Amino acid sequence: MLAYTFHWTAVLDNRHAILLGAWLDVWVTVISFVLACVLGMAIALLRVSGLRVLSWPAFAYVQLVRGVPLLVFLYWVYFGVAVVVHVAFTGVQAAIIALALTGSAYTAEIFRAALGGVDPGQAEAATALGFPRRSTFRFVVFPQAIRIALPPLGNTFVGLLKGSTLISAIGVADMVFVAQQINLSYFTPFEPFTAVGAILVVLVAVFSLLVTGVERALRLP
Amino acid sequence: MSLLHVSLIAYSFRWSVIRESFGELEHGVKITLELSCFSLALSVSLGLVVALCRLAPLAPVRLVAYVYIQIFRAVSLYIYVLWIYFGLAGATGINLSPLTAGVIALTVLNSAYMAEIYRSALGAVDPGQHEAATSLGLGRIRCFATVILPQAIRIAVPSLVNQFIDIVKDSSIVAIIGTTDLMGATNQLVGYYRAPFELYTLVAFFYLTIVLMISALATLLERRLRRHLT
Repeated sequence: MLAYTFHWTAVLDNRHAILLGAWLDVWVTVISFVLACVLGMAIALLRVSGLRVLSWPAFAYVQLVRGVPLLVFLYWVYFGVAVVVHVAFTGVQAAIIALALTGSAYTAEIFRAALGGVDPGQAEAATALGFPRRSTFRFVVFPQAIRIALPPLGNTFVGLLKGSTLISAIGVADMVFVAQQINLSYFTPFEPFTAVGAILVVLVAVFSLLVTGVERALRLP
Repeated sequence: MSLLHVSLIAYSFRWSVIRESFGELEHGVKITLELSCFSLALSVSLGLVVALCRLAPLAPVRLVAYVYIQIFRAVSLYIYVLWIYFGLAGATGINLSPLTAGVIALTVLNSAYMAEIYRSALGAVDPGQHEAATSLGLGRIRCFATVILPQAIRIAVPSLVNQFIDIVKDSSIVAIIGTTDLMGATNQLVGYYRAPFELYTLVAFFYLTIVLMISALATLLERRLRRHLT
């Protein structure tokens, strides 16, 4: 069956390019994730504000963004929005915008659930002790909510990391892009795509261990 | 700022493109739904098999199922599609159509998620049900098929629906290897009409509509599955 001879040298000779591409995926993911967390927190706060004028648009935003595939967002930002506002986004910029927007809808839901998951008695106790509203949030509710939010936030990060492999579709030279280049110049499709798949599995595994470690460090005694 | 202002005016939207594109996109919706539904049916079945392996009494079978789940939950669909369509085809000489490659990739990846959903649903069924069935003299297989599984599926439905929504959204990725699904059709139309903003906005609303319709149907389904429980 296998008339195909494997040429792993094609991958090994280009290992630096592949790893550089993997690094690009990682840092694009990290920046997008941080932006998604900030944006998501703002949206979650709007949703729990109790004012319908604020909470309804926030709800609509989450529903809208969660219903649209990442690839559509990528193309929409990179080709669509760029044409309308006449700003030629670089691929990396468009990728970060698309990933951050998609991620923000998920982090918003996570933060909302986490804020709701903190026992209301905590806030009441803080108020009874004379904490002003802002301090109650900052020192009592928020630290507890973060602990609840951490595991699902880890899942979102992994989701964004997997999503970041799509950015070669708009021409960003990430590891998948490098794999495609190797395929084109050596005619060995199997090896480079297997290699980048393996790299992604390793990255996800390492990151999962990291999240477990942070969870353990933050766990209340 | 003034530059942005001027350029916003300079761009004239061509919304008429949307009307002209509807025929192509209708066909795209059909392909997207076909692709998603096929993958859903196959991954729901394969996922159950993987879940059962994960809970099997034999340790090696459990290990294989565990590794399967971990690997396929970590790989992204895009890499997997490329791996099947170019990599596997190159290595084995089997040429798959883009659509077949897409169905295989979506099925295998999602079966790993489905397996985890089944596993937690099976664990959530009250152990008393199993004990009652055994004490009534039901064999292991009948107990599982007629008592445990139906209850587990009812528990699993909301998560399975979310997974289906992910399948529909992820199916857009298959367009990159050249299917004429919703995404692929849109890419072709963008090449033809040169109206990327209008068309990608439109396709976003197409996907959104499909997702919201699935959510609405799921609510009805859940209510129906619960009709004799209240």
